[in-house]
Amino acid sequence: MIWFSLLVLIPLAAIVVKATGGGWSTFESVLTNENTRAALTLTVVSSLIITAINMVMGTIIAWVLVRDRFWGKALLDLIIDVPFAMPTIVAGLTLLSLYGPQSPIGVEINGTRWSVLLAIAFVTLPFVVRTVQPVLEELETDVEDAAASLGATRFTTFRRVVLPALVPAIFAGAALSFARGISEYGALVLISGNLPRRTEVVSVRLFSFLEGGNTQSAAAVATIMLLVALLAIVSLDIIQRRVARRG
Amino acid sequence: MSIEIKGVNKSFGDFVALDDVNVSLPTGQLTALLGPSGGGKSTLLRIIAGLDSADSGTVTIEGTEATHLPPQKRNVGFVFQHYAVFKHMTVAKNVAFGLEIRKRPKAEVAEKVDELLRLVHLQQFAHRLPSQLSGGQRQRMALARALAVEPTVLLLDEPFGALDAKVRKELRDWLRRLHDEVHVTTVFVTHDQEEAMEVADEIVVINNGRVEQVGTPDQLYDEPANDFVMGFLGETTKLGGTVLRPHDVHLSLRPQVPGAHEGTVARVLRVGFEVRVFVLTDDGDEVTVTLTRTQARQLGLEQDTRVWVSAVAGATTVDPVAAVV
Repeated sequence: MIWFSLLVLIPLAAIVVKATGGGWSTFESVLTNENTRAALTLTVVSSLIITAINMVMGTIIAWVLVRDRFWGKALLDLIIDVPFAMPTIVAGLTLLSLYGPQSPIGVEINGTRWSVLLAIAFVTLPFVVRTVQPVLEELETDVEDAAASLGATRFTTFRRVVLPALVPAIFAGAALSFARGISEYGALVLISGNLPRRTEVVSVRLFSFLEGGNTQSAAAVATIMLLVALLAIVSLDIIQRRVARRG
Repeated sequence: MSIEIKGVNKSFGDFVALDDVNVSLPTGQLTALLGPSGGGKSTLLRIIAGLDSADSGTVTIEGTEATHLPPQKRNVGFVFQHYAVFKHMTVAKNVAFGLEIRKRPKAEVAEKVDELLRLVHLQQFAHRLPSQLSGGQRQRMALARALAVEPTVLLLDEPFGALDAKVRKELRDWLRRLHDEVHVTTVFVTHDQEEAMEVADEIVVINNGRVEQVGTPDQLYDEPANDFVMGFLGETTKLGGTVLRPHDVHLSLRPQVPGAHEGTVARVLRVGFEVRVFVLTDDGDEVTVTLTRTQARQLGLEQDTRVWVSAVAGATTVDPVAAVV
């Protein structure tokens, strides 16, 4: 508990104190600023979109990794973690060289909102895969056989038997994925172009506040993001419980 | 005949799991597929259920050609060794699963679930999750779940294999009583010969992918087709070129019967109520003889005592030469 306090609670409290130190007016000025609002919306919406995609794709990838046998599976299993393990700025550079100016494959999306989505998708890919995979490995195929012999089609078996078992893992992965998405900086900063009101995300906005010496506004933005993250994690948890109970 | 299996072959890569298996299982009976682990009995059960497919051969269930039917269409109930419960559903929901899929009216489902839970003595656990049940209770729930869809045949794959000895014995008796009540054609896989002999009407002995013998428990014990069946159903020993049971060997201190083999006691071992005597005959056989404690005490057997051993009249014997296929 002390360890957790030192590591997490005290710094978080410090940020909130710092932000509220300027009173409500700081929040108001931050929130009424067009650029900041645009950055907030872009970040949250993009992260939500990508998280939704990850929940579907991540589950499919995990399924393929656990259930299918194919050549190169072990290698794929290893590569899944690369986007997560590599320094984010390196990820940014990788994306820029592939999708940036003079793209070798002819896809130049730098400076567009697509680049924001792409960068977030890139770094958050492993989360759902890695949370679902072990649960799927634990899931006995006997259970699916049992459902089949009771008359359930493959689809019904998946919906009523397999998916409910995976739901907690999918949502845990989604929460991680969303949290990582809204906080991404390195992978985005190079390819997005950081155009205010178009491709500038919160973390970049925050950095520019800090660069301009406006620590109070930065703290206010940070507190808002903290609330967003908290809200997201809590609501994912609530949805997860609902879905699990419905079974 | 309820289940007809004809010429079924199944291989997993190089491994031959089933080699030209032909079996007929009669309606309404409780049949055991008995054999050592890896002998192919579970594979046969899964092929009957449609969970695995045979490489060749046919499966007919109650007159319906089922070889290529998916498991959903075979109307068989299947019970797995490790229960295969739906963890996120309550006991009642687990049992109701097959009925809900068939879109039966709610009232009918509730009534049927209630009836089945009563049958397996789990009515007070209807709203628990499977994780709150013991192993034996989970398996009874799995059985109720399989019975809910009123299957033509009930298949159980080592149903008591994961339970401890005491619960296993209880469930065994209970399964026998349940079968007498429900009368559904039941096939269960086991590697425990005692379990098969106690519960089954008929036993199919399977070894190395082949059917060794089919018969009632008494037939198998009294007239084993070969030394594998004999050896699998109980202890055996060799005397003068035949295989027989150690308790079917007569032992005396004087030559009483013509043709008795003379030998020396090599070792005397007491196990609980019985005494095992190892005799080395002058012909070079090592014979095991089982005696009661009283008999052993009367004879006053010790190491190096000279004895005469012979098969008792009416002993079950198998000529091992004939049994080598």
